[in-house]
Amino acid sequence: MTNFIKDPVVMMAERNPDPVFSNDELVFSDQEKRLIERWKSQYPTVDGAIMRVLWLAQEKFGFLPPEVIRLTADEVGIPYANAYGVATFYTQYYKKKRGKHVLDVCTCFSCQVCGGYDILHYLESKLGIHVGETTDDGLFTLQEVECLGACGSAPMLQVTNGRYVMDLTHERVDALIDTLRKGKTPEFTSVTLPQDEDELGGNRRSDVKEFQASSPRPVSETVR
Amino acid sequence: MEVKPTGQSKAGDWKNFQRVLLPPVKDLHKLEVYEAEGGYQTFRDALSTAKWTPPAVTEEVQQSVLRGRGGAGFPCGLKWTFMPPVDENVPRFLCCNADESEPGTFKDRQLMEYNPHLVFEGILLACYAMSIKTAYIYVRGEFADWITHMEAELEKVYAKGYVGQNILGSEFSTEIVIHKGAGAYICGEESSLMDSLEGKRAYPRVKPPFPAQKGIWGYPTTINNVETLACVPLILRYGGEWFSQIGAERHPGPVLYGISGHVNRPGVYEYPTGMLITDLIEQVAGGMRNGKKLKAVVPGGSSTPILTAAMIDGVTMDAETLRDAGSMMGTGGMLIMDEDTDIVAWLRRVTHFYHHESCGQCTPCREGTGWLENIVSRIEEGEGNIRDLDLLVDLCSQMEGRTVCALADAAAWPVRYTIERFREEFEARCRPSLVPGAEVMETVE
Ligand SMILES: Cc1cc2nc3c(=O)[nH]c(=O)nc-3n(C[C@H](O)[C@H](O)[C@H](O)COP(=O)(O)O)c2cc1C
Ligand code: SF4
Ligand code: FES
Repeated sequence: MTNFIKDPVVMMAERNPDPVFSNDELVFSDQEKRLIERWKSQYPTVDGAIMRVLWLAQEKFGFLPPEVIRLTADEVGIPYANAYGVATFYTQYYKKKRGKHVLDVCTCFSCQVCGGYDILHYLESKLGIHVGETTDDGLFTLQEVECLGACGSAPMLQVTNGRYVMDLTHERVDALIDTLRKGKTPEFTSVTLPQDEDELGGNRRSDVKEFQASSPRPVSETVR
Repeated sequence: MEVKPTGQSKAGDWKNFQRVLLPPVKDLHKLEVYEAEGGYQTFRDALSTAKWTPPAVTEEVQQSVLRGRGGAGFPCGLKWTFMPPVDENVPRFLCCNADESEPGTFKDRQLMEYNPHLVFEGILLACYAMSIKTAYIYVRGEFADWITHMEAELEKVYAKGYVGQNILGSEFSTEIVIHKGAGAYICGEESSLMDSLEGKRAYPRVKPPFPAQKGIWGYPTTINNVETLACVPLILRYGGEWFSQIGAERHPGPVLYGISGHVNRPGVYEYPTGMLITDLIEQVAGGMRNGKKLKAVVPGGSSTPILTAAMIDGVTMDAETLRDAGSMMGTGGMLIMDEDTDIVAWLRRVTHFYHHESCGQCTPCREGTGWLENIVSRIEEGEGNIRDLDLLVDLCSQMEGRTVCALADAAAWPVRYTIERFREEFEARCRPSLVPGAEVMETVE
């Protein structure tokens, strides 16, 4: 089956794509370097810091092309191959450029039976893209993810590895897209413990503005 | 075959249960409030009273019969005794497992949001009991917001002198480091968590050697779940005896039930172990949504075998009863499904999860999870044959117990038991004949 063997030129190009960032851009600031040193000191060997440094690099550069991975490896002081291995193992590290906002819709387990796919399909039609794609304006990438540990507030999604937006309905999705289009970040939402609704009246953290009670949500018509 | 459980709630007077893991106190996540509520006093006592030697702390935890809340239910105190004798030249580690990725489980997140200091205090006491100088909290990367919150509180704890060198003027020193994961279910498995901490790809290791012998960087390590460690300060404060009296006899203590799915009030509830599943659905979680009928319950996260509505009658939430009823306690993350749920579609998504999350080290798991997904998808689309069901069960037998870690078993159980317990639904989706092409003959007749 020769068609399994790729053209070597194509293969090389895939492995060593043209760098996106110039050498001048590929530096960590002094403050970032201090952080990295601190992380390195927290483990018996420096290797332990690589995950944190990859996170830092992803926040700074948006994604992790090979030259950025090489930068993190050099900064931590481990072989490039090790850093590359780590960067390619975990799903939250982006090896390819994504949209400005990545919408990770949970369709797993509880979210599935509570309408996670409804939310996913609604977003597909609203943004005019399929799951896995990015809108033409580069604003949104839509992804389907596994359980995010917020099953009591299903269906839910996460915005770009950060904020959780829970108890989704079509209206909430519309509001979220509006907020993001305006360049704002959604508020951190605290999930009330149902038992607290009797005793504390709901919000048990006074430093959190938004909170969401565990109220029943519409049942999705199909469980897919 | 299946033993019918006794049908009595083992949770006693649960309606008047005083919450201890997540007590109703406003702003308990703040250090000042936590201290005002008596927090860190147990830890101070442990450091300053002659009674609380490290072995005495372990002894008390053993007395309490606290069992791990991370899924396997292993006795916590016993696990601590596996640590080798202290050797000043050999570092020892504690890992707090906050990877919480088992579908259906969302209790650790609530604990980190509302009572992080209880977790810190539990970590400190565990470190004290096992003479550990470094503790890592491995939090899944998706919990970025909660990591930020915890780091802010941890800084305050450092400033207060509860963590660091010569804590509160004693001989005892411990560092706590929060480690951020980056999205991989397998990192919850203890040996793969250790690889991930070491800055490697998270591949589970062959056991033995167990973490207590050869853990992170080859040094003795103990790994406990967040909720398990959060129980420790309570055990020392109120006594192991008190703890062992709560809920089911052989699996006691307060427990966080994460209830999700088709109920009126989903969420995390704190009650004793040994609650009747029917009580949890009807009285605690507000009953089924829209008055629908119950179809199935998954009692403890995606890998625990599914129970049909008929099977939960009289079953309580503790390891022994659930085992007799044909399932497991797991993480206590319960999924409740109503009569409209399409079980075949649901199983297809579960198999997709395990296929996606298999690390790929072992052939039975890497290939097996893929085939489970393929075949269940085929059945879902109406393209399956009846014999595919037996093929699936056979495939499960070939995966179980043949791999480095338990993910392969965790992937096989839902398939095996869902097919066993909802066979008619699967059969109804399959082509009726055994031989491909035979339906053509039938129509000719
Ligand atoms: C595939 C797999 C995933 C696991 N995921 C988690 C997890 O997310 N959180 C957790 O606490 N334990 C998880 N465990 C269980 C851990 O391996 C370990 O038993 C547990 O953290 C021990 O803590 P405990 O004794 O306090 O329960 C997982 C186990 C397996 C096999
Ligand atoms: S059983 Fe699966 S997840 Fe576990 S080590 Fe083997 S391949 Fe990896
Ligand atoms: S199933 Fe979606 S958050 Fe757990």
